[in-house]
Amino acid sequence: MDERIVIVDSGTGLTLTEEQLDERSAVAIVQLRRRGVRVGDTVLICLPVGPDLLVAADAVIAVGGVAWPVPADLDACVLQERIQASGARVLISDLPQALEAAEESRVRIVMSVADLHSYPNSRELSTQSDRIVPSASGG
Amino acid sequence: MPEPPRHNLPAEPNRFVGRERDLDDLRGLLGETRVVTLCGVGGIGKTRLALRVAAGLLPRFSEGVWLVELARVGRAELVVPEIARVLRIRGEANRPLLDTVTARLRDLRCLLVLDNCEHLVDTCAEVAAALVASCPRVSVLATSREPLRIASELIWRVPPLDLPDADSADAESVQLFLDRAAAAGTRLGPDSLPDVVRLCRALDGLPLALELAAARTSLLSPGQIADRIDDRFSLLTTGGRTAPARQRTLLAAVDWSYDLLSAKEQVMLRRLSVFAGSFDLDLAEQICAERPLAPEEVVDLLGGLVDKSLVLCDESRTHYWLLETIKRYAVERLQLAGELEVLRERHLRVLCELQARHFATEMVEPGVPWHERLRALTSSRSLLDDQRVALDWAAESGNVPLGLRLCATSTGLLPIGGLTEIVTWIERLLSLDLSRVPAEQIAHVKAYLAYGLEARDELSRSLEVAEESLAGMSPATVFSRCVMLNIIVAVLLRMGRADEALRYAEESLAVATRTGDAWNQAAGLAGLSAVALTRGRLREAQRHGEEALARAREHGHRWIMARAAAQLGAVAEARGDLVAAEAQYAMAVPWLRELGGDADLARCLARSGRVAAMLHEFGAARERLAASLALSREAGQRQGVARCLAGLSVLAEHEGDLEGAVLAAAAAAALRESIGQHSATIRIEELLGRARAKLGESRTMSLWSRGRAMSPDDAARHVLEGERSAAGTPVAAEPVRHSLLTAREQEIAGLLTRGLSNRAIAEELVISPATVARHIANIMEKLGYTSRAQIAVWAAEHSANPSA
Repeated sequence: MDERIVIVDSGTGLTLTEEQLDERSAVAIVQLRRRGVRVGDTVLICLPVGPDLLVAADAVIAVGGVAWPVPADLDACVLQERIQASGARVLISDLPQALEAAEESRVRIVMSVADLHSYPNSRELSTQSDRIVPSASGG
Repeated sequence: MPEPPRHNLPAEPNRFVGRERDLDDLRGLLGETRVVTLCGVGGIGKTRLALRVAAGLLPRFSEGVWLVELARVGRAELVVPEIARVLRIRGEANRPLLDTVTARLRDLRCLLVLDNCEHLVDTCAEVAAALVASCPRVSVLATSREPLRIASELIWRVPPLDLPDADSADAESVQLFLDRAAAAGTRLGPDSLPDVVRLCRALDGLPLALELAAARTSLLSPGQIADRIDDRFSLLTTGGRTAPARQRTLLAAVDWSYDLLSAKEQVMLRRLSVFAGSFDLDLAEQICAERPLAPEEVVDLLGGLVDKSLVLCDESRTHYWLLETIKRYAVERLQLAGELEVLRERHLRVLCELQARHFATEMVEPGVPWHERLRALTSSRSLLDDQRVALDWAAESGNVPLGLRLCATSTGLLPIGGLTEIVTWIERLLSLDLSRVPAEQIAHVKAYLAYGLEARDELSRSLEVAEESLAGMSPATVFSRCVMLNIIVAVLLRMGRADEALRYAEESLAVATRTGDAWNQAAGLAGLSAVALTRGRLREAQRHGEEALARAREHGHRWIMARAAAQLGAVAEARGDLVAAEAQYAMAVPWLRELGGDADLARCLARSGRVAAMLHEFGAARERLAASLALSREAGQRQGVARCLAGLSVLAEHEGDLEGAVLAAAAAAALRESIGQHSATIRIEELLGRARAKLGESRTMSLWSRGRAMSPDDAARHVLEGERSAAGTPVAAEPVRHSLLTAREQEIAGLLTRGLSNRAIAEELVISPATVARHIANIMEKLGYTSRAQIAVWAAEHSANPSA
């Protein structure tokens, strides 16, 4: 198997191998599709720079969507404007300020990082509401 | 049997505009997500969207799409009873209602729409979580201002309608506005389009705000409305800056629409907020027509509010209702006007009076034709939501006397919510300060408490309460006193104390005869017949039974007539006259159908089926037992199911299928044990004796243990469908998965066995890594796998034989 390292999290020093990235992207694609993301859809991504951002962007592109990254450290008003301007139906974020800024937007579904990672076996979907228990299946 | 889809979704009051993609997505989501909550501010269209989504899912949820309107439920403990009511499930004795509900839904593919959860969000969350945990095929679509916050929930935020942009005015919000304006009789030409666009933007695409504005287009142009809403909006922002923008916009629109009403229309609208659910003109007149409104004005005022989209109604204008958002606004206005207490009190009083009249018509007054009695019962049932709200107010405001009066006359309340609801209400009221309540009234209402307790199988408590009631009741309240006596008779008979029951039955009969009360004469005589029957005095039992039926016919109420006929049936059975018994039961069936009381009907059908079986009328027996079983199953009544299994055992034995008889009897015995009920051991012993003689000891015992382990449904099917083969449906064969994959996907699955990365696969196939990732996601979904490694293993196993 391919053990090549493809990304390093500058904050934690954690690494991701190519295989892990492929694996996580595949799961994330399934999750995005399950939430109705289609070819041509804009998906907002508001995550700190790191592996999760890479996985999310990878998955959005693979699903045929348009990745619309928003810096996590923007001023609340600017963040709100950007989110509203995107017209996106889905937002990927864990950040409270992003969730708040999405309040009066056209975002229908907010996905957490845990939502991108988890691949439940049954019809069960886990969502942002159980993000307290981070999924271990990501890597 | 293919049945039409089962649902209780209301007809759409007008055209549904826009949200095509959302509908599509949501219907897709509900295929795999168990709980979806539509969240958003009031007026954004959550309910309408949910109903539309649900309607489109009817074919997929073949066993039912059920709307539970929680807005009318004021208290957390009424959430489960309301769900049970919608599903027509009754509570069982000694079992939490939620358990009965989840047991009933366990194998059903159905969708529950829990509308307006926000005021009871914790209970809704618990209930939804319980349903999802124990019923694998049930899904929940909730609407709420706040999410439920449970693990399996997907929160879906409902946005406003799309707004027109610079290039095109063909947006959802514009379409909705034009549609509703046209419905109000206004044809807007292309000239007004810029103003309509401006208005839609000002109203932020909020559907309710757009509808309220469109209802005014006959008097004001879209431009004028836009100007005024703008003014209104600037006024509001100075007040509540903290509220989210959408909420402020909506409030501005509702406020504006309210201010445009005439003074009397305003009074009318806020008073209408006291109703729990829908109401008719009559009730609106009785409750709302007080200074400054005259009764004859009510119909016009109501019509005016309908024209302004503040009140909704059905096509025939028999039922009116308020949207939840408008209702909340109106309640606030009522409070500000200082009228809330007065109106609630009036609502309670009017319902009390109404219900007292219904009760007298249905039960007490002599010589009332049956159709009038039935109409009174039906009216009482249709007012249940309002009765609950009124009782709640009585308890909250400490008006115990009126609350108790309502409890003592609400025949509609008795059989609802598993017969336990009346108990809950009376106990709640009796726990309050009773110093202003006459002792006699307390004694009076305890009769109905005893009735509820008897239905809950709490016999000794029922008897205790009944005796207290009897001791304190005034001799003047003759009707209720007799009812009480007859409840005691029923309880004592069930406790096997027939000797004691005798004097109560005699007293009831004597009092009722003196006062010419046909209902209680019939009930007393039926009691005397039952006492005589337990003492083996068959002729006396027959005489009393016949007399009971004659008095019951005189009264005309189908319930008491069926009660007397069933008593005669029991007497005939005891005599061994099966033909007469069957005739009595058969007579009672249509009466009970008319009444709509499924519990009594199920019991009667089961008896009638069992007797038919003994008469070798197998077709009729099968039909009735099946009908009875269906009623009990659908209402979640295990006791009723056990009764049918016992009847099916009799049927099987008379058909010569001794094995089926043992199986069904064993299944019935197991089910009865599981609910802590005793079986009729004599019949079982006799049956087993005959089985041992014919089939041998070991065969009999193995059948008995197989039957005990069988599900009630399987055991019933075994007899009903004459299945002689071993039970247990074959496990569905694993689908052939390989053919699910496209050629490209198979190719990629093959490459995964070589441990290649996406990038390497992309290079090999000369496609982009994103495309490879997409293919792999497809394979995972199709095969239900969760990792690339699993795909690799699977592909390796299948590569030798690609066609497998």
